[in-house]
Amino acid sequence: MKYKILKALDIAGLAVLDPIVRLIYREEPSEQVRKIILFIGIPAFTFLCFMVLWAYIAPRHTTKSGEVPTPAVVWDSAKSVWVFHERENIKEDDFRVSGEERQKRIAMVSAELEKLKPQLAKVDALLTKAQEQAKAETDKAVAPIMAVFEETKAKYSADSTARKKALTDLAGTIKADDKSARSEYLKKVEAHLAQTDVEKGNLQQIKAQMDAVMNRKHQGLIEARLAKNRVAEKVQFYSKRLENLGDNNQQQKVLAAKESLDKEKEKFSQASGRALYFSALKIQRAEDRLGRIETSTYAKPWTFPAQIVRSLGCVFLGFVIATVIAVPIGILCGLSPVFMAAMTPLISLFKPVSPIVWLPIVFIIVGGFIDDPEQAPVHPAFLSSAITVALCSLWPTLVNTAFGVAAIDKDHLNVARVLRLGFWSRLFKIVIPSALPLIFAGLRISLGVGWMVLIAAELLSSSEGIGKFVWDMFNNGSSQTFAQMFVVVFVVGIIGLMLDRTMIVFQRLVSFDDAPTAI
Amino acid sequence: MSNNLQDKYVEIVNLVKAYPNPFGEDIRVVDGFDLRIKQGEMIGILGHSGCGKSTVLTMVAGLNAISGGNVIVAGKEIDGAGPDRSVVFQSPCLFPWMTALGNVMLGVKRVYPHASKKERKELAEYYLNQVGLADAMHKYPREMSGGMQQRVGIARAIALKPKMLLLDEPFGRLDSLTRMELQDVIIDILNENKVTTLLVTHDVDEAIYMCDRIVTMTNGPHARVGRINEMPFERPRIRQEVLDHPEYYNIRGSLIQYLEDLEHEKEKQGQEKPPVEEETFNDQDDLPKTPKDKTEKSELVFML
Repeated sequence: MKYKILKALDIAGLAVLDPIVRLIYREEPSEQVRKIILFIGIPAFTFLCFMVLWAYIAPRHTTKSGEVPTPAVVWDSAKSVWVFHERENIKEDDFRVSGEERQKRIAMVSAELEKLKPQLAKVDALLTKAQEQAKAETDKAVAPIMAVFEETKAKYSADSTARKKALTDLAGTIKADDKSARSEYLKKVEAHLAQTDVEKGNLQQIKAQMDAVMNRKHQGLIEARLAKNRVAEKVQFYSKRLENLGDNNQQQKVLAAKESLDKEKEKFSQASGRALYFSALKIQRAEDRLGRIETSTYAKPWTFPAQIVRSLGCVFLGFVIATVIAVPIGILCGLSPVFMAAMTPLISLFKPVSPIVWLPIVFIIVGGFIDDPEQAPVHPAFLSSAITVALCSLWPTLVNTAFGVAAIDKDHLNVARVLRLGFWSRLFKIVIPSALPLIFAGLRISLGVGWMVLIAAELLSSSEGIGKFVWDMFNNGSSQTFAQMFVVVFVVGIIGLMLDRTMIVFQRLVSFDDAPTAI
Repeated sequence: MSNNLQDKYVEIVNLVKAYPNPFGEDIRVVDGFDLRIKQGEMIGILGHSGCGKSTVLTMVAGLNAISGGNVIVAGKEIDGAGPDRSVVFQSPCLFPWMTALGNVMLGVKRVYPHASKKERKELAEYYLNQVGLADAMHKYPREMSGGMQQRVGIARAIALKPKMLLLDEPFGRLDSLTRMELQDVIIDILNENKVTTLLVTHDVDEAIYMCDRIVTMTNGPHARVGRINEMPFERPRIRQEVLDHPEYYNIRGSLIQYLEDLEHEKEKQGQEKPPVEEETFNDQDDLPKTPKDKTEKSELVFML
């Protein structure tokens, strides 16, 4: 049992848990503890240090979108992303529910709303109070500065007028041929202007002080706003639920549409003459409407988990395209030096091209095939993101495959020659199996590259997915969305890690001993 | 015809292997290797490392291009490698992604393309059984020792029902006990069905024990047949009988002496050609013949 677990862990690439299992089975406890400290303790400690450093540095920089979020803020916003997702799912469910269940839910939601009303009133009151208090505080702090400002301004204004008057008076006394007096005068005017500038600067400084006081954050106000938002969000959520359970409910609408259709039919059976025609028309329209309602879905906004799923779909599509192109070409390159020579310029030319360049080109080309993006079976933005992923990620697979095929053991080829194997059986029995570990090493790198490229591609093409989420959050520019971008960093990292692990498992499954491993 | 063919089942005529050096001149590694092999005979090629024994074998196998001369097997000149001349390589060369059975099946499938899958499997199992791997058929090469892997290699080679079996230092990488076991495996198989065999080795005892005739090669470059020694032992061979045979140590001594002499000649003559002797047995006192002129030799090649 113990060795089965250990082997499973080894294959799954989770050898890091090896010492824990051994410790549970009491195999050399001191050695296992040492290993646990080394392979789990130290990494965990480093991560902790990173978190502490982050939490320390982040609030010390203020941006347009507020302070750089700390780990706690990021964690909160991750939770809020998840809550949004769950709420949307509930709303969607409400939209479809019917019968008794619907009644039950209406009762439940109404009760919740009732409960929330006093809460809302309370937080509203608190907010108003906090606003008043903040205003009072600000006014109190601003008043003395304001007084200084007014006073200084009046003084400067008087000074300036006096200086001007003195200068104009002086101008009257200067004679026509008195050059030195004239140049003296010029200097005096210059001094006057300089003085005015200095005064302006001083006034601006006082104003800045005032602005700083006015923009000062009031902890009480922020908290009151947050509390209000929390309750208001809930109220909005339940009101929307009530809508989806009530008038907006699909089943309710279907019932209503059916009822009106029945009415029209009854009228039709009794109508005659000209009215018959109009009645028939009405029936047709009512039927159309019913059909539309029956197929209608809740206009659900994209939630982050849904976008993650779509991104994964996109990266797999791109990955499959890349594999289908890269593996056969790689095999041909490995088999035939002529083909390799023919492909080399193309490979070396296109390999370094950035996804940012491929995407617009692919986007336009794909757009040429699809006239109406909304009606197309695959959204062109999605398709072009996938193709961009493929274009950028096929190179590692291609190169590794070519290398794997070219590096096939000469002895194995000799055996194939002695057996006089045909091209196909040589390919499938010898060449591909022996190159498989390297092909998979390439695929693993490709998937990693694809996952990185994908986010940029989605961001550029506005294809729904993680990239689009980042872009939307960036454009939103609030401190909450700023924190959500940090959530994306971790989500992308974890998913990338899992993809890589999966590929390692596959790679190990196809590898045989002393085969060349990843390059 | 048949009698004639039996005596000259394999004919190696004036075999030449030349590699061009950077100055466009051919360096003849093997130059004029001549040998006739009877059907069912086992020939050992003995020589110092690097003398070109393996080159001769790979040329006969068709894995190495022939620069001059011919190899005729069963009356037909060879054209490339083929399953009629199966090879056991120095390293087992098993496909690591296939089991022992899979490795043997690959060859069986090639030779019996019309047999059913079951029949082919039975055949492969039969040959694996013959090399003593009845219990390890479904093991992968990585799960087997070097000796077991080489047994699979032997089973794969004989499963092809070859006209000729080529053994290229097949036990060179094994320890001496395993080596003896595998020698017996091959002797047993050859006792059962006689296959014309060419064994390349640098182990004198192995050659004496296994072969009907031993061909010693002169040192390269320009390696060729030095001396051909008939072994007086009877078949089926039994190791102890061979060791107890009164001639055994004479033969052994004479072979070793001859090989040492070749080495000394080489040291004495530097780059000049080593002595060449032909078709003599137990007679190492012959003076070396003067080597033929190179140009004369190449003309000969073109004439052939």
